[in-house]
Amino acid sequence: MIVYLAKRIAAVVGILLVICAVTFVIFYVVPSDPAIQACGKTCTPERVAEVRAQMGLDKPVWEQFGVYVVGIFAGRTLGAGIECGIPCFGFSYQNSLPVWDLLVDRLGTSVSLAIGAAVLWLIVGLTVGIISALRQGTALDRTLMIATLTSASLPVYFVAMLLLLFVVRIAEILPYPAYVELAEDPVAWASNLILPWFTLAALYAAMYARLSRAQMIETMSEPYIRTARAKGLPERTVVVKHGMRAAMTPIVTIFGMDLGGLLAGAMITETVFGLPGIGRLAYDGIVKADQPVILGTTLLAAFFIVIANLVVDLVYAVIDPRVRYS
Amino acid sequence: MSGTTRIAGGLLAAALVIGVAGCGSSKSPTASGGEPATGTPTKGGTLTVLSNQDFSHLDPTRNWTMPHMDFGIRLLYRTLTTFKSEPGAAGAEVVPDMATDLGTPSQGGKVWKFTLKDGLKYEDGTPIVADDIKYNVERSFAPELPGGPNYAQVYLAGGDKYKGPLKGERLKSIETPDDKTIIFKLKRPVAEFSSTVTLPTFAPVPKAKEAGAQYDNRPFSSGPYKIETYDRGKELVLVRNEHWDPATDTVRKALPDKIVVKQGLRQSVIDDRLIDSRGDDENALTYSDVSAASLAKILPKPETRARLISEISGCTDMLGFNTTKAPFDDPKVRQAVHFALDKQALQTAEGGPDMAEIATAYLPPALSGGQAQDVYGLPQTGDVEKAKALLGGKTLDVGMTISTGDKLVGEAVQSSLKRVGINVTLNPVDPSVYYDTIGDTAKTPDMFIYGWCPDYPSGATFLPMIFDSRTIVEKGNSGNVWQFKDKAVDAKIDEIQAMTDGDAANKAWVELDKQIMEASPAVPFMWKKKPLLVGKGITGAYGHPVWSGQLDYATLGVKQK
Repeated sequence: MIVYLAKRIAAVVGILLVICAVTFVIFYVVPSDPAIQACGKTCTPERVAEVRAQMGLDKPVWEQFGVYVVGIFAGRTLGAGIECGIPCFGFSYQNSLPVWDLLVDRLGTSVSLAIGAAVLWLIVGLTVGIISALRQGTALDRTLMIATLTSASLPVYFVAMLLLLFVVRIAEILPYPAYVELAEDPVAWASNLILPWFTLAALYAAMYARLSRAQMIETMSEPYIRTARAKGLPERTVVVKHGMRAAMTPIVTIFGMDLGGLLAGAMITETVFGLPGIGRLAYDGIVKADQPVILGTTLLAAFFIVIANLVVDLVYAVIDPRVRYS
Repeated sequence: MSGTTRIAGGLLAAALVIGVAGCGSSKSPTASGGEPATGTPTKGGTLTVLSNQDFSHLDPTRNWTMPHMDFGIRLLYRTLTTFKSEPGAAGAEVVPDMATDLGTPSQGGKVWKFTLKDGLKYEDGTPIVADDIKYNVERSFAPELPGGPNYAQVYLAGGDKYKGPLKGERLKSIETPDDKTIIFKLKRPVAEFSSTVTLPTFAPVPKAKEAGAQYDNRPFSSGPYKIETYDRGKELVLVRNEHWDPATDTVRKALPDKIVVKQGLRQSVIDDRLIDSRGDDENALTYSDVSAASLAKILPKPETRARLISEISGCTDMLGFNTTKAPFDDPKVRQAVHFALDKQALQTAEGGPDMAEIATAYLPPALSGGQAQDVYGLPQTGDVEKAKALLGGKTLDVGMTISTGDKLVGEAVQSSLKRVGINVTLNPVDPSVYYDTIGDTAKTPDMFIYGWCPDYPSGATFLPMIFDSRTIVEKGNSGNVWQFKDKAVDAKIDEIQAMTDGDAANKAWVELDKQIMEASPAVPFMWKKKPLLVGKGITGAYGHPVWSGQLDYATLGVKQK
């Protein structure tokens, strides 16, 4: 187990380094010049060169990359005496803040959004999927599947706009979403996140319903389920203990990936609802060509996804006793 | 001020405009419905500003984009002089701010002396001294603090090699013989230096508060408000600076007790909230332009229309040519495009007369005595026959690079020119690389869209910036992006800049505008308006003629419930 874990963590570090290197190279070849952008209008070439040197962009790309990676573990001092503490993911000259500070500041919003939505879509999606599977071919099954297909077909931004129009503008049931810290006011935190949670959950719940339905149908037709029934086990035990547990393995895999991706920001949802999360930060970074921010959000997203994968692999053994680490 | 639109990444003047004093249809900067969107100004309450963006910079050294510049100057820091807080032409008048007067020139305008008023204090109650202004001007030279106005670098003697005060070096051409006196020694006479010192470069920054690039996050207040909290991209909260003395300030009304800027909101959501104007949103307003789609909801209703501020733009949108290579190295071909362009179609593409006025000169009307110049006197739809005659029966195939947001404008240009046998191939590029693309002289496309906004009402902040051939640089070229080289124009620029009579200089800029129009390195086609919506409880709202048609934050207030 420990050897397995060590190998996986080494792989995680390797993957993050590769992603970091690739992202660095991409920025190096794009035509946008951060020094020119920062310099403002009517900047002389000499002034641009000075600004470039201040930003450390006058060094070869491999050297910049090395400084960046070392800075993550050791911190560094940037031009104009800017101290960038550990872990230093660079400095956003457009936000005048270290990227790590920005990421930490925005993480709470994205985590709140992702966890709340995940709870919602798991409850709704799995319930719908299991009911549909157990009532396969009935009118209820067909109705639920049509509903999930419709829900999955609607783009996130469209659902968001619909909710804003009907729930906020017309019915005036909820206020326009604005992120409130959980510690500050838990009720306001939840009421402001209800619409974004529903928006995200609408898409994911539909997909999870269809996936869990298919898995349950397949599992419930396995011989060991027939055996369990033949032994006289109650149907509830057959479904929950034997059926659902086996059907969950692929769902847990997908869930890990989805949650990992969302923890690093639901870009569209955060942008539509004006939530200051990692997704919105990444979006602004892209719009403003703020390369350190784009690099930082990319690495954070990659980190969450690979870690989520690792956790999922570890959880497999709990769900399915046949799985062994090697 | 063009910088903001670089960030927005589209057509330079697409989002930002400078209001034009006394121009045509917008002499009275009122709401589109005809009545000013303003009630009786009262003191107190909380003003909420709904914004789709963070401030690019609040550090006065680096603040050079609208509406951030307006926000900073009107609320957080004071400058030596400033513009009156009045709508219409009166707003373009320069008045003393921290200085006792508009400055005393000597040596033919090469030396300017300003004296500070008594009772000027920072937010902690310490007095503002002349050296603090000198220090901030010096900061504008520092490569560690880029992005701000570069006028000090251009005008001040000895500025060529100076690299700012962060390493301890001071600039000798700014003298502060005592705490109340500051003297600027310039390279050449600058007749409008009283206007130059309205820029945030000429606000005070105490050396003790220096924080390098991070001063941006907490500028030290010399204005009527100070920062209580600033969570970048989320929220800025301003509260009263109790050490600001209204007796020293004739411009800022400082009505609300508190100002809250909520950032990162979607513009369409901001528009809907202000259209509804319910609850706290009654005392809210938009920081950035109302979206074109929302105007369809605002304009038909008299109630919402009356709350729409739509001041005319002072920025000029232009169709530019690469004048260094065929076919646009030929002035006749450029003139042919000038004649062929259907500006009415372009106006429609920009949203119609509610959103834009047709431009007939480079200088916006505020810079040409309040009247738009019209050298060619063309019909708004162009003169196809004259254009064809100039082309002599030739047909041309040319490329035009546009930002992806300017598709409709590009197509209007394409249709216009097709009428005279010029086939235009559109090349849309991402807004984030648009200016890098046209600013690379090796890659400058045949045609492109560009815009320019003056920093204050003077031709000196417009024509030299975009037509002086000596400003062209190989990469990152901005301003003279058409690479227009005309020695007669350069000489005329030098001649006007040497003038000490401001009025005579302004007249000379107008004449130069006509002269350049005949060479047509670019075709001016639009002066945009800035549509801004305010809530039902907002008072004192008007688009300021100098601050890009942006709301004047000096006079805004909220009705007391």
